[in-house]
Amino acid sequence: MSLIREIVAELFSMFAADGRLALGALIVIAIAAILVSALPTHPLAAGVVLLVGCLAILVAAADREAKRRASN
Amino acid sequence: MGLSFLNATAPVVGSAFLASLVEAVEAFTIILAVGTLRGWRPAAFGTVGALAVLAALIALLGPLLAYVPLQPLQLAIGILLLLFGMGWLRKAVLRAAGIIPLHDEAAIFTTETVELARRADEKSAAFDWIAALTAFKAVLLEGLEVVFIVIAVGAGRSLTWPASLGALAACLAVLVIGLAVRKPLARVPENTLKFGVGVMLSAFGVFWTGEGLGIPWPGQDLALPVFAGLFLGVALAAASVLRRPLAEPVQ
Repeated sequence: MSLIREIVAELFSMFAADGRLALGALIVIAIAAILVSALPTHPLAAGVVLLVGCLAILVAAADREAKRRASN
Repeated sequence: MGLSFLNATAPVVGSAFLASLVEAVEAFTIILAVGTLRGWRPAAFGTVGALAVLAALIALLGPLLAYVPLQPLQLAIGILLLLFGMGWLRKAVLRAAGIIPLHDEAAIFTTETVELARRADEKSAAFDWIAALTAFKAVLLEGLEVVFIVIAVGAGRSLTWPASLGALAACLAVLVIGLAVRKPLARVPENTLKFGVGVMLSAFGVFWTGEGLGIPWPGQDLALPVFAGLFLGVALAAASVLRRPLAEPVQ
């Protein structure tokens, strides 16, 4: 049973080791999906939001972890 | 062979190869520790058992992908790739900046060897199940990541076979070199590879997620290297801004 638990934990950590990064990415994807529906004539606007949003979330996640470790 | 085929295939095969190289090196370190300390029979038993489980999973789930419509498949894979790739890239940035320790295969080999020796003192049996299970777990866990990466980078453009060949080549390369040197492959620049793979997986993630949402990327497949360049530039800049003196390697 502990092996199955470890496998499930590993699978979870593959995608959500940093919960806030994962949540942020999902929010950006949801915003992009809404934009695609709301602005069907300008789908690239959603693309820009998706790309720039993901880059911003990556930087924020690295910065947050750096600050957390610096304060410990 | 057309240029557009190469444009589509090269990043897929390259990403599958490099990502699998990293995972295979990590699995090999554990197999080597089991093999040298507790014998090659349980190491081989655990490894073959895990490969059989992985093969069964692929045989069971692989054909189901053909029944999933392409756009929802691209969206699902894109989202998973983004979560996975950005997680790798975040960790690679933190390692490059010296905020978290680098992955040290030699140290992991030593730790694993000590742990196996301790457990050997606790219990002895005709067949070394603890050693076999250790090898099984390592290959299964790292192998699951390889399977996911192959499916994720390949399925969106029906390039699962070329991606599988890339992954297989990486695993064979690690096996051949590893068996020749009989030492942990500590000189593999693992964080550099992880940095590169994180960049590629994140770029694939944005690309497939966008395609799945119905976003027509300018230049189609040519958008992928542009995304990769942006992720690389931003990640390098973040590592440079956050840089600290190097931390001690992880044990």
